[in-house]
Amino acid sequence: MSDPKDPLVEFSDALIARTETAKSIVAAVRFGHGRHVTGIVWPSGVVVASEQALPRQEDFELVAPGGATIAAKIAGRDPSTNIAILKPVEAMAAPAIEAGKARAGAVALAFGADGAGGASARLGLVNQAGPEWHSSRGGLIEQHIVLDLLLAQREEGGPVLDAAGVCLGMSTFGPRSQVIVIPSATIERIVPLLLKHGHIARGWLGVALQAVAVPEALRENSDQSSGLMVMSVVENGPAAQAGIVAGDIILSVDGTPTHRFRRIARHFGSESIGRKAEIRLIRSGAVTTVHATIAERRAA
Amino acid sequence: MSGAAGRLMPIERLRVAIRSDDALRRAALSLTVSRAGHLVVGLDEAADVVLADDGSPAGETRNVIRLGGADDGSHGVLPQDADESQIDAAIRAVAAGLLVRAPRLRDTGFGAMGEADSQALLTPRELEVLAALAEGMTNKAIARRLDISLHTVKFHMESLFRKLGARTRTEAVAKASERRRRETIML
Repeated sequence: MSDPKDPLVEFSDALIARTETAKSIVAAVRFGHGRHVTGIVWPSGVVVASEQALPRQEDFELVAPGGATIAAKIAGRDPSTNIAILKPVEAMAAPAIEAGKARAGAVALAFGADGAGGASARLGLVNQAGPEWHSSRGGLIEQHIVLDLLLAQREEGGPVLDAAGVCLGMSTFGPRSQVIVIPSATIERIVPLLLKHGHIARGWLGVALQAVAVPEALRENSDQSSGLMVMSVVENGPAAQAGIVAGDIILSVDGTPTHRFRRIARHFGSESIGRKAEIRLIRSGAVTTVHATIAERRAA
Repeated sequence: MSGAAGRLMPIERLRVAIRSDDALRRAALSLTVSRAGHLVVGLDEAADVVLADDGSPAGETRNVIRLGGADDGSHGVLPQDADESQIDAAIRAVAAGLLVRAPRLRDTGFGAMGEADSQALLTPRELEVLAALAEGMTNKAIARRLDISLHTVKFHMESLFRKLGARTRTEAVAKASERRRRETIML
């Protein structure tokens, strides 16, 4: 028999206990041919999953903790924060687990659904814990969390707990298959909005933009060394209606200079919809100002 | 050991069609394909392999290598940012009747908004030069099209190479295409 005071055994026993806890909030999200990814049973009774991991369909089958299968429908998706929620046809019991922030160096446990009502476990460290960031789709993520563990594709979307059993958030794949965490704070902010609207509203002008250097001759006039060049304009979109054409270089929106994507992304949150934006731009060598009414973009 | 050890044996030129909505991307892929020694053919012509940025329209009977996106059962599925040697190897493999998959299918993952390096931003004029470059134009032809001197074209070209960190024209087009893919934002 092993000595109960052996620290390695204690450590292992603690991990087993954590996995038992995690099992009660881990669900498999099944889609065809025996494939599945993982979801977290959230306290409000919905299942939270990784948006990018779910195929574009409405109906899924969940395997609840313990192994019961329950049909579920997509209740909302937000690609900008990579959060999707599924509503099961029958209520699922969801124990509340304390949410918290990640600290670099902390032990992290990532759990996945095994597809039969149980949980699979991964152990690693919080490799990086940085400040808030914006995703390439414009969503605000409250904390930049990178883990140094491996994750199977079927485990994506599961809960990540620290040594104290606090839920840091949901696991997902970042660039180059890095395992990152969508923080609990982001999920807590987005889930009620998704439940209410099914999507996260964002401001929209209907343009594709690329950062360019402002030509030397125009720098003094424009007061800026870079701007966003309009590469294409969506037909009948707000920008098109305001007379913006491909080739225009946008310098600022409502006084916010465009040389940082992040600042501009922040300018087009849901509260911007319906607002009249003042857009300063360079066209045919001169600086002019146009006004466009920001419309709503449905999450793609 | 033959002298060609470590290299793929030279084979007959394969006919490769390219499907992409983005002209710059199309040009970059065309250059990659021809540098690998294959022949770029029109989208409606007979081809050994079709390189496609997106899924295939119904009724596509040729061998398709898909660059990016989900595994839709195409003969080849590569990440969108597959490099030249991977694309070449996939073309040869698929033409030989093999299926090609990259070990990691999700090529992008959930990433941060790219912030352009302000030191390396291209000017509108440089973008025009680049577009001409992507069409395979010579410096002389570019000078004529943009109505500038050959000297000025060379000046822009040097600046483009420096900003893109490219040594050849092909590399410049490929790097610009990749940068545009990463840094284009939709508002």
